[in-house]
Amino acid sequence: MPEMLPKYVKLGYQYLVDHILTFLFIPIMAAVSIQILKLGPEEILTIWNSLHFDFVQILCSSFLVTLIATVYFMSKPRSIYLVDYACYKPPITSRVPFWTFMEHSRLILKDNPKSVEFQMRILERSGLGEETSLPPAIHYIPPNPTMEAARGEAEAVIFSAIDTLMQKTSIEPKDIDILIVNCSLFSPTPSLSAMVVNKYKLRSNIKSFNLSGMGCSAGLISIDLARDLLQVHPNSNALVVSTEIITPNYYQGSERAMLLPNCLFRMGGAAILLSNKRGDRNRAKYKLVHVVRTHKGADDKAYKCVYEQEDPQGKVGINLSKDLMIIAGEALKSNITTIGPLVLPASEQLLFLFILIGRKIFNPKWKPYIPDFKQAFEHFCIHSGGRAVIDELQKNLQLSAEHVEASRMTLHRFGNTSSSSLWYELSYIEAKGRMKKGDRIWQIAFGSGFKCNSAVWKCNRRINTPNIGPWQDCIDRYPVHIPEIVKL
Amino acid sequence: MVSSMAEGLIYDIKLSSVGPGTVTEPDMVHEPSDMDLAMKLHYLKVIYYFGKQAFEGLTTLKIKEPLFMVLNYFPVICGRFRRAESGRPYIKCNDCGVRFIEAKCEKTMDEWLEMTKENASLEKYLTPNQIIGPELGFSPTVLLQYTKFKCGGMSVGLSWAHVLGDAFSAAEFLNQLGKVVAGEKPNRPINLAHLKTKSTNSGSPLTNMEDPLSVKRVGPVGDNWMTVNNCKMEAFSFSVNATQLSHLQSKISSNGTDFSPFEALSAVIWQCIAKIRRESEPKVVTICKGMEQNKADGNNQLISVVKAAYPIVEANPGDLAVLMKNAALDQREKIENAIEKDNGVSDFIVYGANLTFTNLEEAKLYEFDYRGEKPSYVSYRVDGVGDEGAVLVLPGPPKNGGRTVMAILPENEVTELKSELKTEWFMI
Repeated sequence: MPEMLPKYVKLGYQYLVDHILTFLFIPIMAAVSIQILKLGPEEILTIWNSLHFDFVQILCSSFLVTLIATVYFMSKPRSIYLVDYACYKPPITSRVPFWTFMEHSRLILKDNPKSVEFQMRILERSGLGEETSLPPAIHYIPPNPTMEAARGEAEAVIFSAIDTLMQKTSIEPKDIDILIVNCSLFSPTPSLSAMVVNKYKLRSNIKSFNLSGMGCSAGLISIDLARDLLQVHPNSNALVVSTEIITPNYYQGSERAMLLPNCLFRMGGAAILLSNKRGDRNRAKYKLVHVVRTHKGADDKAYKCVYEQEDPQGKVGINLSKDLMIIAGEALKSNITTIGPLVLPASEQLLFLFILIGRKIFNPKWKPYIPDFKQAFEHFCIHSGGRAVIDELQKNLQLSAEHVEASRMTLHRFGNTSSSSLWYELSYIEAKGRMKKGDRIWQIAFGSGFKCNSAVWKCNRRINTPNIGPWQDCIDRYPVHIPEIVKL
Repeated sequence: MVSSMAEGLIYDIKLSSVGPGTVTEPDMVHEPSDMDLAMKLHYLKVIYYFGKQAFEGLTTLKIKEPLFMVLNYFPVICGRFRRAESGRPYIKCNDCGVRFIEAKCEKTMDEWLEMTKENASLEKYLTPNQIIGPELGFSPTVLLQYTKFKCGGMSVGLSWAHVLGDAFSAAEFLNQLGKVVAGEKPNRPINLAHLKTKSTNSGSPLTNMEDPLSVKRVGPVGDNWMTVNNCKMEAFSFSVNATQLSHLQSKISSNGTDFSPFEALSAVIWQCIAKIRRESEPKVVTICKGMEQNKADGNNQLISVVKAAYPIVEANPGDLAVLMKNAALDQREKIENAIEKDNGVSDFIVYGANLTFTNLEEAKLYEFDYRGEKPSYVSYRVDGVGDEGAVLVLPGPPKNGGRTVMAILPENEVTELKSELKTEWFMI
């Protein structure tokens, strides 16, 4: 009973503050109604007649009301809808079991057994499963990353995702108004977006963009860009393609900090269709509510924590600093500070404010209050950058295992697919049948820079368990228990 | 990393791996039988020569795809060896896969076959030559090499560790691949491995029995599973067409007993080799034969020895054939006991412990068809044969109905055997 008391107090408080307006409104309405009833019907009629309803007055009032309404509706930002999205499903020929990875590594790094050991230890604790995929060029001993192979991978991933998307949404290539492709580490000329325009014969007046170098959080940057463009262009839709091309970026040296991405990054991609058209309102799956971007690049340590550089032998790779988790935590805090007021219910915000004031004025020793984001969202899609990232966020946001299940299972089945991982996670939640109309989803992505970007979506309609998707043949095996250390 | 061999004859060599398309359950293992472990130092090398049509227009990915599918049914060959606490090797089915090698040859297939008639050892460039070891856990047991010839023909070279199974198992694997390429499903259960059971160490079953005649204890080789020879071994092969075969069979048949092509050929070659070796003529030979009934994977050959009580050189080949037919002593149980004695840790060789004759007449080598094309020729040899040598009697190309004989002998005996067979028996 004593433990239950604080819980009920908290519940009561939340209910009170969240519905404060209703609580204030009811007594006022009650008082007014009682007053009116006291007056009696004749009195009311007299008051009514005393209001001289001039024709001009009525006209002006209605004009005013119409004007205000028009200005309001015109200046309201357009609603952006996510019609549908599709994730790339790698073929079985790309599959990389743990031991194949280790054996290849042993053969390639035959002069560096310590580096091989390091990779084995990383793999054991990585949270990846035995079904993740690498592109064909990387399957060779040693890997054979030619430009042609990289283009081949890009075509396979991007075209497959777009084909599936077109099948799901029945959209014609000529109807696409905006095209945004983001791929951080592969940026050929002509660009990947030009490649898409060429393949699908998109219109010559298409607004195409290609974002490169922006890291794993570029997916949400693309969504943000699409949203801004859709505010400017009425009655349009935008095709956003998020992917990361592994072929040219596989580190071929033996520095340990730079071998880490080889163990985690895997093939993947997603294509998303956004729209502001009235006609798509009913068939769209999600509505975009907020996008919040936080950039910590001004801080030198944050800027350098994910850094592409040459190793002493001149081989190029991505160096991950040891402070990565700390910096990620800081970036998340910044992002939460902005997004909190937008999404949290009033009760949480008030509590946070009280405790903040309390810490500043009364006692700095009070623990900072972490708002309960579970009240603001039903589903969480945390970028599956690695097991450490998911663990850290689960701890910081006090999430349960079920909330981070989508992230962990995506890491297990697909590995770190960079900017498209959020879409695989969303697909997992849908495949499990957990998405209901009205559910709110929070997508959080981290990336080099160091950036933390969030997007908030609201489920727009009932979603049936999809019959085509990256999880279709394996969803029944999930969730799986992922041991701390896999016995290789 | 080698990117060309034999002075550029074979070039553009690329290595990768192909494993099962679907994930095998974790902790699956396969424990080789005693007979399997007796054969662990031997490797089967098979080359299937295909004409242009079989692989025309296929990209590497298209060639790999059916392999991914068929390997779902062979989790054991995709695994890697480990040693149990007792030291006995077992296979962990961890989906690591088979090694896949692509290569190109600057000759046309006809030119190549001409060259190999002169110099059979060239064929070793068409099969991968990696042994199991020095690290068991990182050594593939099956390797495939696809070599494209200048004319468009393709050779499929298979290196198959004998510890996985005999020639019949190896042929079965590729025949199933052919089925998958044709769009059929293999008629095998998916998972023949099992979860690791507690080590069933039955202690030392039989005390200090002598090693059987058919095997030779070697080593210890540790984790380098290869045979060390005291002399260089050379392989050469020749075909015997149907007419020559029947002529031979009738020549040696006596008292109305008919001999199979294997028995006839083996008897003849036994005598030839005895002539060459003079004082150290082989009085004991080992005979390996496939068992029709046992279709399971693994080493299921009937291994027997034949002892001759009289000098071979003067004997009638017909008598030798009778010995082979009737007086073969089954050695399998003795071999199994020898292995069990120290729980599979010791190292033995079977082929070449004595002069060995292997009957592969019934092996379904020519049933591997790729997109409707059968191989024009199949070449077969065994690596890791001991100093006494081995002779394999294989089916010939189906059109000819004869036999192909592959002999692996010390190199100084090869020329003499060739001339002996030519002059005395009109073969070659």
